[in-house]
Amino acid sequence: MIRFGLRLSTRGGKESLVRLVVMALAVSVGVAMLLLTMATINGLGTQNSRGAWMATSPRFGNGQPNFAGRGTPPTATNSHTIWWLVTSSQFENQLIVRVDTAPVGAHPVVPPGIPQLPGPGEFYSSPALSALLKSTPSSELGDRFGGRQIGLIANSALPSPNDLVIVLGQSARTLSAANGAGKINSFVKTSNNGGPDTAGTTGLQIILGVLSLVLLFPVLIFVGSAMRLSAARREQRFAAIRLAGATMRQVAVVATIEALVAAIAGVVIGFGLYFLTVPALVHVPFTGHPLQAGDLRIGLFDVLVVLIGVPFAAAVAARIALRRVQVSPLGVSRRVTPRPPRWYRVIPLLAGIAELAYFESVRRPTSSGAQTEAYLLGFFLIMLGLVLAGPWLTMAGSKALAKRTSRVSALLAGRRLSDNPRGSFRAVSGLILAIFVTSVSVGVISTILADHGTTSTGSLASKTVVDQFAFSFTGDIRHLPTSLESSLRSIRGVTGETTIYVAPTGMSSDGPVPDVNGLGGDIQYGVATCASLATTPALGKCQPGATYAKLGDDIAFVQLTKSVTATASTVWPSAQLATDPSGLPVQVIAVATDGSTAVINRVETTLDRAFPYNTSASLFGEVNAQSSQLLSELETSSEVVILASLLIAGCSLTIAMAAGISERRRPFSLLRLSGVPLGVLQRMVALETAGPLLVISLVSALTGLVASDLFLRSQLGLTLRPPSPVYYLIVLGGLVGALAIMASTLPLLDRVTRPEDARTE
Amino acid sequence: MSLVTTPINIDTKDVLMEARDVEFDFGQTPALRKASVSIREGEVLAVMGPSGSGKSTLLHCLAGILVPKHGEIRLSGERIDTYPEHERSALRREKFGFVFQFGQLVPELSAEENVALPLLLGGLRRNEALVRAREWFERLGIEGLERRRSGELSGGQAQRVALARGLVAHPKVLFADEPTGSLDSLTGELVMELLVSAAREDGTTVVLVTHEPRVAAYADREVIVRDGQVSSLAANSPAS
Repeated sequence: MIRFGLRLSTRGGKESLVRLVVMALAVSVGVAMLLLTMATINGLGTQNSRGAWMATSPRFGNGQPNFAGRGTPPTATNSHTIWWLVTSSQFENQLIVRVDTAPVGAHPVVPPGIPQLPGPGEFYSSPALSALLKSTPSSELGDRFGGRQIGLIANSALPSPNDLVIVLGQSARTLSAANGAGKINSFVKTSNNGGPDTAGTTGLQIILGVLSLVLLFPVLIFVGSAMRLSAARREQRFAAIRLAGATMRQVAVVATIEALVAAIAGVVIGFGLYFLTVPALVHVPFTGHPLQAGDLRIGLFDVLVVLIGVPFAAAVAARIALRRVQVSPLGVSRRVTPRPPRWYRVIPLLAGIAELAYFESVRRPTSSGAQTEAYLLGFFLIMLGLVLAGPWLTMAGSKALAKRTSRVSALLAGRRLSDNPRGSFRAVSGLILAIFVTSVSVGVISTILADHGTTSTGSLASKTVVDQFAFSFTGDIRHLPTSLESSLRSIRGVTGETTIYVAPTGMSSDGPVPDVNGLGGDIQYGVATCASLATTPALGKCQPGATYAKLGDDIAFVQLTKSVTATASTVWPSAQLATDPSGLPVQVIAVATDGSTAVINRVETTLDRAFPYNTSASLFGEVNAQSSQLLSELETSSEVVILASLLIAGCSLTIAMAAGISERRRPFSLLRLSGVPLGVLQRMVALETAGPLLVISLVSALTGLVASDLFLRSQLGLTLRPPSPVYYLIVLGGLVGALAIMASTLPLLDRVTRPEDARTE
Repeated sequence: MSLVTTPINIDTKDVLMEARDVEFDFGQTPALRKASVSIREGEVLAVMGPSGSGKSTLLHCLAGILVPKHGEIRLSGERIDTYPEHERSALRREKFGFVFQFGQLVPELSAEENVALPLLLGGLRRNEALVRAREWFERLGIEGLERRRSGELSGGQAQRVALARGLVAHPKVLFADEPTGSLDSLTGELVMELLVSAAREDGTTVVLVTHEPRVAAYADREVIVRDGQVSSLAANSPAS
């Protein structure tokens, strides 16, 4: 029977050969997409691991990172030990990772990508930073670092070729005095080591992993759809085999062999397609940072999973499909009329939304652990609910359409969909999760980014540079370098400077201090002279006649999820201070400029040079640039996943569409023969395939945005902001692409239903 | 019945449709060779002949499904074989009805929706189309089956539904290609009786392709297609 099955598959005439080739090609496209998704997951992992060394953090006896001397110094100093400090600098909205090192032992460890530790006054830089240093006046960039470049950091140590990284050599004495510096003996090899996330990669890999896994659903659905191609025609032939005396068991063997032959051929061609297309994938900006050639690889495990898994799944699917139908010698019939999906399938979806709404309107769990569990449960319920409710929604929608319409195409499409809502939904079921997850991601991210507030060019905030100290754990800076003020004043274009000091405990004011970030909590107040504050209007102003102003420490409050700044209209209360505050610890230095890029760069360079190990000086309006960049990368990834999943769903639907046309070629031919215009049939086929795609995309995107709104309201106190136009363009582009792929099948309808061919059926 | 020698004497009086010297081939295989036939308004014409003789091809040429290589097809005196495809489609939709051997019902639609299809295509509102479709169920003795799908109908029931669909829009000509070919003789006779009586009531001309003399006996007149040529038989006595 196996030999018979093989012969039937490969030498069963033109029709069976065409069927085999089409199935194999469809499977090959699915396999190639599966491999590309796996390669992407691996590539993002490789990319992150390559930059993991920058996340190496000095650890202390209590296991906590070293911040301002909190913790116990390590005892294990050996010949490999070095001093180590990773900070960052901001240059025209780009993040520069700065690594300061100094040898301790005789054989110091050397970071990846450079041949040796740079000596004091020397540095290695990434190729992109090297080019930037050469093309930018040193007063605007190079002076931040000083020293002499002695080489380039190899790309093998950079997540992306365009990353800006510098490794500076210092003397052990200098670096040991820097707050935040510590000793290390080795480098971490994965980014999730719990250290400070200077490179901005911690957590990104996990989220990207989730996004990539989400992409697997539509791909697997596509492979499954490919295996169901021409199922009806095959089943009819099985009936003929039964008529010739074959048992059901023998028919099952034939079906399995046929599926295996197509799947194995598809896997082989799929690997070929993968190797042809993988070089182009390097250029896809998954995170905004391009991958490097060679990042996209598949491992032996991946290869084995596809090589064995796809044919095995195909064989199992063929057996299951055969069990759903009764193949008798007289023909094929559905074994049982499937029960229509019931309304209670929407319960989990409603429960998930209700849970998030409860947190939003009533109360949310107090501990962060309970919050995580509660939100995960809510999102899981919604995802499960979408998958369960999908067939019911398909049936309800299509029934309503068929019941009311007077258009033949809508009537036919509606009846077809309501007849088999599970089958109709299956082709887009992978899409629903992908669109939901990415819409939640885009909704949350775009709201956070909008809340961060980007300042328009020319506004006060985009002309004022701030250097904050309180948040960088650099401890007390009681005496600013004497040259700093004169250096700043000497820059043409600087219009004012304010130093905010840490307010003494118990300092009173004649009114409450505005709570800029709206979160309340412990506030470390600041104090500044009104004379200086008047020169930096972006920070707000004093009450009329006041000498000192009492400020909140949240004039530039920055978190990943929420960043706010004071505005020019903020009025700070008068502080009751007996003496000049200049002897107090410094909290913030703010410098007002004329807004020109060169002046801003020079001010930032001057401040960074004065406080090299402190958090980078940056524009007041862009204090959130680093977190914004990370979020933007995630948003880009989400949009790539949306686009890819829509296109893949388009491919799945194309197969479903082709199968649907093939199954109904006789009634369609006879309808055309009776004068039914081809356009009616085309509209019908387009409706029954594009309809679910559009509706499901809309439902899952809306559900995702609603869920993200509830999450934002309850967890972050924010209201959902509309995603950027790019999101709409991506969704629209993906839908148009998917529809275009599906439209490619329409000529098939014309070919297989020509009235003159109906007589040969 | 006695065989009349070709060429057929065409009486142009009351002629609704005619084929003149029609030739058609499928590649190297000739199907029709100078086939000529005329059909009077309101008559039931049986086209008989053995398998492969070209009778279905003749029906398809008459109905504008196939375009003859040579010769002409006229409806009410006007040539229709020169119409472009979309006009021939419109003609089939508006002036012709069809009944085939099997498989013409759309499986997803209920019986009444299947019958209403030509009316919906003609732009009638849904409710009105369904009301008019339901009238045919009683007329053809299949009341109660309106909501059933084609898979839930017997062969005879399905053919009666197909017949209702073919006649619901009151076509000028009903083309029936082996309408009883998949039915037992008793059911076949019932379907034929209904077909002929309904057509006569509505004044619809019927072109009936069959190879069964018993079916052809319901026609007013019979022609025989053999080797792509048409011969005429004497007129039948009215079917009982």
